[in-house]
Amino acid sequence: MAFYPGCLVLQRMPEYELATRAVLRTLGIKLQIVQQSVCCGSPVVESFTADWVYLAAYNLALVERMGHETVVTVCGGCTNTLTRGARALQDPDVGDEANRRLEPLGLSVTDQVKVRHLIRLLAEREEELRAHIVRPLSLRVALTNPCQVFRPGDVMGFDDPTAPHSLRRLIELTGAEAVEYGGENECCGATLYLAEPELALAAGRRKLTATKEADLLLHACGNCQLLLRRFQRLIVSKEPDLRRQAILLPQLIGLALGLSEEDVGLREGVWS
Amino acid sequence: MKHPEPCLQCGTCVTVCPVEAAGGHAIVTFLADPDAADYSAWLCSSCWRCQEACPEGIDIYELMMEQRRHEQAPVGYRAAFDSVLTCGLALEVPQEELDHMRAMWGLEPAKLPPPDLVRALILL
Repeated sequence: MAFYPGCLVLQRMPEYELATRAVLRTLGIKLQIVQQSVCCGSPVVESFTADWVYLAAYNLALVERMGHETVVTVCGGCTNTLTRGARALQDPDVGDEANRRLEPLGLSVTDQVKVRHLIRLLAEREEELRAHIVRPLSLRVALTNPCQVFRPGDVMGFDDPTAPHSLRRLIELTGAEAVEYGGENECCGATLYLAEPELALAAGRRKLTATKEADLLLHACGNCQLLLRRFQRLIVSKEPDLRRQAILLPQLIGLALGLSEEDVGLREGVWS
Repeated sequence: MKHPEPCLQCGTCVTVCPVEAAGGHAIVTFLADPDAADYSAWLCSSCWRCQEACPEGIDIYELMMEQRRHEQAPVGYRAAFDSVLTCGLALEVPQEELDHMRAMWGLEPAKLPPPDLVRALILL
């Protein structure tokens, strides 16, 4: 399958790609990175121009040229814009225009590529995954459902758009407990950071305050992880008791599959 | 901006908005009160919860994006967009730096897109 990392994971979060590859390798899935891909368009490009759809078309065209039917994503925004982009290409006017713009680059695109976020890919292989769990985990985990993987429900076509359960099931598969804290479907706030950093940090603080009962925060999107791990020091500078470990879905699953902390990019261990 | 015809101003969108919960006023403030002035189309986290909750099925996301295209952008957004136009990605990272990082993590090499490719894809 093709792997589309998006800006954030490609440039700042190699551990997410490493852990994703390690988990999928266990299931016999080999990922091939989409070379020369560009930003998915969300929400930056879409905020400036309706032509964001041609960025999605370009990325999907690269996947088609690789000969893959499925592209795996690990962030909400990328999943959302690539899926909406593929949907937009069903309109012959958009499809024709996309191909006109892609032709000088030696590319062409249809609407056939399947976009699969890691949650969906794993949820569709639940039994197979269960068979590979060799080290059940006893952790209390506070999950955040990545908004854009599930909504808008009529386009994303996966799980319940307002109360999704797939991520919780995957966590429970590892033996870990998904604690209920009422904010599972509440946006992390990361996308606010570009407009109003203080507001993004306020949203992050709400999350950290609500999840005090959990051992760690669990994310399945680079943006959530960026705000609640990398920027956590900005949120908790005056409240050290709010400090919390935050890990990524494939890191948790990888540990349950018997992979080492190093294999899943937890170089400082789970508890650093 | 113009208030969308089917909007009942029921305020459901405001109650599910995480930005409102964090103390900011996104476009949902305007939908609940057409006279509101203390909101910004840029204060939206793109979580789509309002749209999913809207009883009239208003495409709030598209409304917000359309409005953004007519308003002054915050510097963070502008910088990220300029970077996409120039190097294809939201942050500018040199190929050598990327190669080095990926080698350190044992990941296959990844080639960055050619410069100005995005300018050929979108018409500004």
